[in-house]
Amino acid sequence: MQHLDPDRLVLLAFAEEPGNDDETVHLARCPGCRHDLASLRQVAEIGAQGPAASDLPAPPERIWLTIEAAIADSGRSPAPVRRAGRQKRRWLIAVAAVVLAVAGTVVADRIVRRAPAETVIARATLAPLATVTAQASGSVRVLSDGEMRVEVHHLPLTAGFHEVWLIDPDDLTRMVAIGNLPDRPGAVLPVPPGIDMNRYRLVDISDEPNDGDATHSGRSLLRGTLTN
Amino acid sequence: MDSDDELAACLRDGDEKALRAAYDRYGAAVLYLAQRMLSSRADAEDVVQLTFVAAWTGRDGYDPRRGTLLAWLLGIARRKAIDRMRSAARDDRLTGIVRAQPVPQQEAERPEGIVDRLVVADELGRLPAEQRRTLQLAFFDDLTHPQIAAVTGLPLGTVKSHIRRGMASLRQRWEVDGAASGSRSTGSSRIR
Ligand SMILES: [Zn+2]
Repeated sequence: MQHLDPDRLVLLAFAEEPGNDDETVHLARCPGCRHDLASLRQVAEIGAQGPAASDLPAPPERIWLTIEAAIADSGRSPAPVRRAGRQKRRWLIAVAAVVLAVAGTVVADRIVRRAPAETVIARATLAPLATVTAQASGSVRVLSDGEMRVEVHHLPLTAGFHEVWLIDPDDLTRMVAIGNLPDRPGAVLPVPPGIDMNRYRLVDISDEPNDGDATHSGRSLLRGTLTN
Repeated sequence: MDSDDELAACLRDGDEKALRAAYDRYGAAVLYLAQRMLSSRADAEDVVQLTFVAAWTGRDGYDPRRGTLLAWLLGIARRKAIDRMRSAARDDRLTGIVRAQPVPQQEAERPEGIVDRLVVADELGRLPAEQRRTLQLAFFDDLTHPQIAAVTGLPLGTVKSHIRRGMASLRQRWEVDGAASGSRSTGSSRIR
């Protein structure tokens, strides 16, 4: 049996020319040529969809920095600093558990009733970032009832609004928006139930434009880490 | 560390420079896959990080006989992206957060399809320059063989042979490295 010429198969795969009668008859009979043609067609289709490898945007260097850091971390045996941090975190897990409980299960209700509502379970002192006036300051207290009390002073004026975030300091791209600050020094914001405050322990206050974009503007004003 | 084999060997030896070289060579493809599987850019960047960290810690597990380094990295990235989708869904349920979606969710392409495209694109990039140029004109400019001959000034017979050889390389790579290579029937190619 005379199989189809490879050049012909490629032309048929690109649908550049219709098969002639002999070819059609052969294809109907020969699973090998049919398979080759089907494969080539698929490859031509996949290839034409791209992307052209040269068009792929290179990943930003900051990703490499996080890779390097993670590798350096995993190479070292557990560092004492980290261990100290972990104990605190274990405690913060308990905080998270309490906050989670406030969500409204019966069990949670009991815990909350036993603890006075005003018990402060975590606090942070907020300091201005380098680009912000040194006078700016703030503090945050998380209460056992899941409320976050935020106090700020001398924040730079904003054309938009100030927003409070909880950020994972180990991965600054992971964050949770807590709420907007009203135009006065003190605010009470509810912490969404279930937030792992052992992870999202960096409090951040940002200047957000009124542009409808719900993500962080990247303009942080104050920051501080929640501790007990 | 020019060839993939050298790169893979250095990586297995624990040479951190090899990881950097792999990142330079394939980071873009990994990010492309992650970005298409996840709606959040931050999540996609996380997946790139997780992929290369996992490649580093699991470097002993890479077997060049079973596929190229790119295919191995894309396989890791695919699993990391799926993990991330699941945990994001779980986090959202727990916290009641509605995630900001910078890009409207398009009709999702199957990750296997994305991997196939990246593998074929990578192989296209490795073809000899004239073969690659010829195939690019066929793929992206949708030119027929005679038109390619006219554009490039190459004889029609040369164009045909470039396309045949180029297609054979792409096909072989796709059959070895494509995402569905395990399940796809890989009838031996008679095209040389
Ligand atoms: Zn045949």
